[in-house]
Amino acid sequence: MPRIGVFVCQCGNNIAATVDTKKVAEEMGKLPGVVYTCDYKFMCSSPGQEMLKQAIKENKLDGLIVSACSPHMHEKTFRKAAEAAGLNPYQCEITNIREQCSWVHHDKTKAAGTVKSIDLTRMTIQRLKKNQPLNKIKIPVKKKAVVIGGGIAGIQAALDIAEGGREVILVEKEPSIGGNMARLSETFPTMDCSQCILTPKMVEAELNERITLYTYSEVEKVDGYIGNFTVTVRRKAKYVDEERCTGCGECIEKCPFKVESAFELGLSKRKVIYTPFPQSVPNVPVIDAPNCTKIQKDKCGACAIVCGPKCIDFKMEDKLETVEAGAIVVATGYQNMPNERFGEYGYGRIKDVISGMQFERLASSSGPTGGEIRRPSDGKVPQSVVFIQCVGSRDEKKGVSYCSKICCMYTAKHTKLYSHKVHGGQSYVFYMDIRSGGKRYEEFVRGAIEHDGAMYLRGRVSRVYEKDGKIMVQGADTLSGSQVEIEADMVVLATAVVSRDGADTLAQRLGIGYDKYKFYNEYHPKLKPVETVTAGIYLAGTCMGPMDIPESVAQGSAAASKVLALFSADEMAREPITSVVNRTTCNACWDCLTACPYTAIEREAIKDRQGNVVRWVAKVNDGVCQGCGVCVAACRSKSIDLKGYTDEQVFAAINAF
Amino acid sequence: MSGHTEHTTPTGGYEPKIMAFVCNWCTYAGADLAGTSRMEYRPNVRIIKLPCTGRIDPLFIIKAFENGADGVLVSGCHPGDCHYTTGNYHARRRWIGFKNLMEFAGIDMRRLHFSWVSASEAIKWVDLINKVTDEIKALGPFMEYKGLKEKSAEQGE
Amino acid sequence: MKIPYYPGCTLNTVAKQFDTSARESASSVGFEMKELAQWNCCGATFPLTPDNVIGLTAPAKVLSNASKEGDTLTTLCAVCYNVLKRTNKVIRDNREKRNVINGFIEEEYDGSVNILHYLEVLRDKVGFDKVKASVKRPLKGIKAATYYGCMLLRPFEDIGIDKAERPTIFEDLLAALGAEPVEFANKIECCGAHLAMNNEEVVTTLSGKVMTSAVGAGAELIVTTCPLCQFNLEKSQPKVAEAGSGYSPVPVIYFTQALGLALGQDIATLGFEKNSSDIMPLLKKKGIA
Repeated sequence: MPRIGVFVCQCGNNIAATVDTKKVAEEMGKLPGVVYTCDYKFMCSSPGQEMLKQAIKENKLDGLIVSACSPHMHEKTFRKAAEAAGLNPYQCEITNIREQCSWVHHDKTKAAGTVKSIDLTRMTIQRLKKNQPLNKIKIPVKKKAVVIGGGIAGIQAALDIAEGGREVILVEKEPSIGGNMARLSETFPTMDCSQCILTPKMVEAELNERITLYTYSEVEKVDGYIGNFTVTVRRKAKYVDEERCTGCGECIEKCPFKVESAFELGLSKRKVIYTPFPQSVPNVPVIDAPNCTKIQKDKCGACAIVCGPKCIDFKMEDKLETVEAGAIVVATGYQNMPNERFGEYGYGRIKDVISGMQFERLASSSGPTGGEIRRPSDGKVPQSVVFIQCVGSRDEKKGVSYCSKICCMYTAKHTKLYSHKVHGGQSYVFYMDIRSGGKRYEEFVRGAIEHDGAMYLRGRVSRVYEKDGKIMVQGADTLSGSQVEIEADMVVLATAVVSRDGADTLAQRLGIGYDKYKFYNEYHPKLKPVETVTAGIYLAGTCMGPMDIPESVAQGSAAASKVLALFSADEMAREPITSVVNRTTCNACWDCLTACPYTAIEREAIKDRQGNVVRWVAKVNDGVCQGCGVCVAACRSKSIDLKGYTDEQVFAAINAF
Repeated sequence: MSGHTEHTTPTGGYEPKIMAFVCNWCTYAGADLAGTSRMEYRPNVRIIKLPCTGRIDPLFIIKAFENGADGVLVSGCHPGDCHYTTGNYHARRRWIGFKNLMEFAGIDMRRLHFSWVSASEAIKWVDLINKVTDEIKALGPFMEYKGLKEKSAEQGE
Repeated sequence: MKIPYYPGCTLNTVAKQFDTSARESASSVGFEMKELAQWNCCGATFPLTPDNVIGLTAPAKVLSNASKEGDTLTTLCAVCYNVLKRTNKVIRDNREKRNVINGFIEEEYDGSVNILHYLEVLRDKVGFDKVKASVKRPLKGIKAATYYGCMLLRPFEDIGIDKAERPTIFEDLLAALGAEPVEFANKIECCGAHLAMNNEEVVTTLSGKVMTSAVGAGAELIVTTCPLCQFNLEKSQPKVAEAGSGYSPVPVIYFTQALGLALGQDIATLGFEKNSSDIMPLLKKKGIA
């Protein structure tokens, strides 16, 4: 026979005003298995908890009910008290007689609150009789993190994790870390140079002994779960021995072949053996294999001849490396929507129609023009420039429905840079609305208009075409209600921020969610902004959606703090509310596997003594299971149950109804 | 093991018994909010909390009727808001099939309700309980099913 | 290859030369345009303006008739093409409207007919390579402006003959005929279309822009795909020239006339006399006629 104690709380007068707590206690005392009852003014107070502990010991209780407020309030408190008195905490259950009884059924004379309290407590008592002692799940944590993406968000996350004393592998697809920010000229609203604030961080990441850079590498496979991930990284062949290369650059000098530079967005050329930009980290060149005549046709090899330390190896192959890690930060960033989609703006057909990012390169002192604004077609300094905002953004038909958020600000910055560099030049901006929410952002845009003379026109552009060597921009000015036609020397398109190609593939490898634009989903948009539904995987930066540098950096740090909190103990304790499979009855239909939102269910082979697979059964991974119980209801053979909410417990409560 | 309360109030009128299966994150919290906001509603409902509506086995509902419920209510997070991302979609899909079966079996569908109540929708919760209670009260005790249960119990034992 | 063909009212009356030159040319490149046994007006674009299915019954009737004669239907007039293709999409994708329409026309049509513009037939069924190989009288040295107008391209998600903002199908055809297509700004802008009835000024302005931009880009000839474009351009041309902006008129012809010319048909049968601009001086200058 169980020995159950029932503690009815008066909650001052909050419960007692409409519920006869004494009667509830008395009635419960009549039930079989209940050996102790009481009602008390404040069960959650220290004396109340002491009383509870003492009652457990004195009456040798093996389970208890506290009929009080919502379990969302004090379930933890009472379970802790029960644990302190030597009881398994999950043998303590709460009945909610405040939010569900006294506070919503006001008339004491009708005794509705009391009747309901008695019913609910009785149901909980019967449920409790079926409770099993549960133990918190302890998961060992490997204290090493993998950060995917070496842009500013990823660098920040890596630096912060390393600062917190943990090891980090920073995986970057390109030959250098730095990401999109490395391309920018100046940054709004302070106008400090992007390279000047970014490169020190890149170098810091390289020199930090706890950070290992895996550049020119991509994540190929992710296995495991929180605290215990196995990440397989493809380290693409650089054809240059990273260890021995001194970064002298002789090889680049001597390479006779040039191709379009992806980093410079086609505005200039680079050698076939190259670093993306002069300040690359690591400063180790890679060979662009498809374009290298030595690798393709065994001709040339000039780079290997001039290389002092002899670190060029044309036979190098991709390597797969596996990393054991406790947490993963995803910071894969963004790209711009292809401009070619917008035929009306003439991109690709008219040479001097360029993208905003190309303008950044023109304005950058390390860019192809050394920071002078010169148009691509003939190198002339443009005397008038038209900036078109919302190219693809807020355009459900041809682009994306969302606002790309950063374009209003960088376009204002472009007009400023242009007016500073080309005196007497006139800039025009076609906009839909100016969205300049942010510290000192609105002032920045006002400055562009009032001090730097940018002409802002509210309206869309319908067509861009060439006429007599000029670029004609035809559009509407909705404020004056007229059509305008502007002769420009150059046109700059503020193209939408979109997710990276392959963002969906990576998400599937990681088991994290993404939206219809393939931006990654945070666990909760407000309260868990850097977590994902997969425990142990965190997000930072523009892989989640458009955001500016300060936000990306803040998220990098936020993700790092989550990682460090996880790494602060050797083991992670989790609520034991997880599913468990009855292996004898499971018939491997895998309905649970398809129902599970967390990929927490695996296939397990049952083998005989010779090691032959006899049959397959489902197995729940406690590290991944979140305890929703969807699998339980999906199971046809009733072979899965949810600890803490077993069928037996629920039926016991229903039967006591 | 059956309940102590009868189908009558102290004043003698008929009061239905209603069982509610709700999820922990949205509807249970919504009901809590109704409490902290001191809203008044009909006292006929008895809540059983589950982590997610996706956990709800149709057998729970049948069992509730078997134990004398005059009506059953299922409520969870709104579509898209599930704490477990997709649990409520599973619940909804299961519900559609189950509802057809219950209709086929001749259960009056006014005794069985499915709803979405979020953690902030205390008012919706209160309105829902009042509406469901009044509707079931008007229908009267669920005698048809009660009879069936007794009959099957006789045959079984 | 026989392809069911819907001429439409205009091609049966004021744009007869569009129709005859197209039929002749088709036989030169190996297909036959089989006029539908029964057809009626498509309703021009008017049925598509209100959100009302009843207007769609006229084009639906045409489509239903066509479905009895084959699985494809070709047409020349850009307006007819637009109306038929969009009506067909409604019938195919919207079951509710389909039922209503079928109820009215007392047919069971499901939207299965594939509607191809004559240009699409040339590109996808015949192939521009074959067209090029069949050319007997190349339009050598003629700088031609390919004026698409609006009906052939938009709304692009419904029409999809080519990329809406940067189409090339028309240029590709003219290049196959030996002409030199010129790139000009207004090639896909509206000519003013139906406003010719009630606001001629708008038509003159819009058509004027098309022609000045074409001629400004070096065009000696403007080629059209639509009877409305042809009409508006030809009608506005003298006014634009009179306005004194230094514009001098150029011949405006249907693309099927250009096609017939290049395929070596008798010039007298191509109906140039029905056009209000004279192409002969240009042909003589280029040594073609």
